Order: sequence, then structure tokens, then C-alpha cells
Amino acid sequence: MSAPGTGPTNDLVELSIPVRADLVVLARLTAATVASRAGFGVEEIEDLRLAVEELCLSLVEGDEGGRLELTYARDEHAIEITCILEGGDQHRPNGSAEGGHDDLSLRILDALVDEHGRETRDGRPCAWLRKRRTRVTN
Amino acid sequence: MDETFEISETEHDGIPVLSVAGEIDVATAPELRDHLQACVTKNNSTIVVDLLDVTFLDSTALGVLVGGLKRCREAGGDLHLVIAEPRILKVFEITGLTEVFSIHSTVDQARQASRP
Repeated sequence: MSAPGTGPTNDLVELSIPVRADLVVLARLTAATVASRAGFGVEEIEDLRLAVEELCLSLVEGDEGGRLELTYARDEHAIEITCILEGGDQHRPNGSAEGGHDDLSLRILDALVDEHGRETRDGRPCAWLRKRRTRVTN
Repeated sequence: MDETFEISETEHDGIPVLSVAGEIDVATAPELRDHLQACVTKNNSTIVVDLLDVTFLDSTALGVLVGGLKRCREAGGDLHLVIAEPRILKVFEITGLTEVFSIHSTVDQARQASRP
């Protein structure tokens, strides 16, 4: 596998949104559009919509300030989405959410994408995922 | 965005039924949590949550439902879910929550199961 963010580079989309609960939907909408353009099937697009939501939620919980910088990279085989938290509260405690949704989030990502991870890039929290396309298009 | 998100509450045979429509995500889940808390506060230990018109659901929503389930069970009751859409059911399956919740495919089934 290539390093996250350095793999599929044929088509790159960038989205920058304030950390606000009502704007995370934009990350989902963009993921769906990019996946559709990449020839992903309906079910795969739905999986990706949920996965990118969980990717964002792994860095933020709602309205704690800062910005989410998302990059959507694709080639003919896969989509790779990287989410970096710029500013805001970068010390979110794990497992603090009601109903243990951090754990649920992890299970969802495990089930829906091929690879995902969290790391620090240039001192900023970063979460990424990679999902390969299974549908063959003509 | 979340314009279509709605929660309505009805009551059947003393059992509150919360019907949710639209996308339950990090923006809208707090509203569902507030409704669930209000239901339990009104001495309802058993609640039916109808998710038939839900089009998207994330881990925040699951967390709220798990929180509601805990409150209901602590009060001696249960929280019944109504789900028919495979895409929504899939989220419960991959998180193992089908083993935790009582899930029904119709509101009538849930109401019957929730009767003492």
C-alpha cells in the first residue's frame, strides 16, 4: 500500500469546513459525489458516506472550534480520504462520548473500509481511510 | 442538510412511540437524546423508537440509542426499535447492536412486544 495521501492522485478534491455539527454533512456529500464520479456502486457510496462521517467524528465531537481539512483522492481502483483537524480542541479524550460511540465508530470503520488509521501530521491530528472499488464499470 | 429531520411522539396503550424521520447524525442526535430523556423522565420505562423513515444514522445516533436503552432498563423497562431499511439495519449489525436491542420490522410488532 502507498502511504496515505500519496496513493490515488488522479483526481484530488479538497474541502475545508469549520468544526460545526451541522456542517459535517458536507464531508458526506462530497464523499458521495467523489465516489459516484469514481464509479463506486450505490452500496459502496453509502458505506463511504458513513465512513467519512466516522472519520470526522474520530477527531471532533461537534462544535469545539477549528477547521476540518478534508482531502479526497481517487484513482480507478480506490478512494482515499484524509481528514486533518486544524486548530480547535486537539485533545479530545477518548471514550468520553455517550453510549461509547468512539468504540462504535471504530467498529463501523473496520467494517466499511479497507484500511483506516489515525496519526499526527505536522503536529495536527489526522485520520484517514482507504476504500477500494469492487464494482467493475465499463 | 437536516431540514427533513423530524421527531414525532404518539402513544399507544400507554407506550410512547417516537417516530424519527431523516438523518440522525452529530447535528441531530442531541434532539433525539432530549426526546428520549423526556420520555423516561415522564415515568415511561418502555419506549418504542420508530426508525422506518430514517435515511442515515451514525455512531452518535447509536450512542444516543444505547444511552436511552440503558435508562429504560435501569427504570425496569426496555427500548424497542423499528427498522425495515437494510442499510440502517446494517449499521446495527456491524456494530453488534442487533444483539443488544429488541429490533422489530413494524411498529405493531414493537408495540406488541413492549406490552407487559
